[in-house]
Amino acid sequence: MSADPDEELVRRVGAGDPAAVQTLVARKLPRILSLAVRMLGDAAEAEDVAQETFVRIWRHASSWRRGNARFDSWIHRVTLNLCYDRLRRRRELVTDDLPDMADPAPLPDAREEPHRVEQALQAIAPRQREAIILVYYQEMSNIEAAATLKISVDALESLLSRGRRALQMILARDGVHD
Amino acid sequence: MAEDIEDGPAMDARRFAALAEAYGGDLRRWPQAERDAAAAFASSETGQAISRRAHTLDALLDSYRVRHPGKALHDTILRTADRYIVRRRRQRFWWLGLGLAGIGLAGAIAGLALVTVVTPEVQPDHYVLDANATAFGDAGPDMIEEDL
Repeated sequence: MSADPDEELVRRVGAGDPAAVQTLVARKLPRILSLAVRMLGDAAEAEDVAQETFVRIWRHASSWRRGNARFDSWIHRVTLNLCYDRLRRRRELVTDDLPDMADPAPLPDAREEPHRVEQALQAIAPRQREAIILVYYQEMSNIEAAATLKISVDALESLLSRGRRALQMILARDGVHD
Repeated sequence: MAEDIEDGPAMDARRFAALAEAYGGDLRRWPQAERDAAAAFASSETGQAISRRAHTLDALLDSYRVRHPGKALHDTILRTADRYIVRRRRQRFWWLGLGLAGIGLAGAIAGLALVTVVTPEVQPDHYVLDANATAFGDAGPDMIEEDL
């Protein structure tokens, strides 16, 4: 197993080194936040998830030991679990408070391309979204992404293929993609 | 970026298309073991057509960018870190104090036990019994100076 580039930094954070804490936040916050934003499609909720992820890091830093996964994979797993909790809560809320009629007004910036891509990502299956975000946006290797999702590389490739096909279909339907 | 320790299968249009469908058009995301073969195949006409299609979706995905974390979030997270680190330090000192108190107490008990074992028992003068002593006092012959 190759060395974990974060291991020494996490050890220093666990020992209460303020400089290490600052370095870890600077290094990991942008990654955690972008993962949560793309998983949830909501900036405010993503910030809450980022804060909760860091609380877990502070709690576990002193006892964190590298097992099968790198620290970066571990924090991705923590963030994804927190995102899933929120997605589940959303589904429960939608089921409980289903509106009588859909709002006919167009969404703000509905014609904007990045916004369409964001909506398309939210429309595909969460597991496919996870796989695309980890490999495409978080720039994880196929092996790291598969380890984070606790699946085989073949299963990861299957999720990626189905996810990209679904995105192409949604974007083509919306006239964004041929 | 992608890496793979296993040797990949020989590259053909079918495999190239499958990889492009999964990882997109940028070969840096592809499994490392297959990158060289894929790069060679990418220059073919079929390879170029497959890559073009994959790059179209890649470009759309690229357009969706996320803003960098703001200073407020950054500072909030650092404040929570302070709280946890200060609390952990306090806990550490508390346990250290408790440990030292425990060691002190154990030392005192051990010292007391040692003193009890090593020091000979001292009988009080008024409780010295000998063969002539009774409940009424010493029943032995009175030895007064006049008798001597």
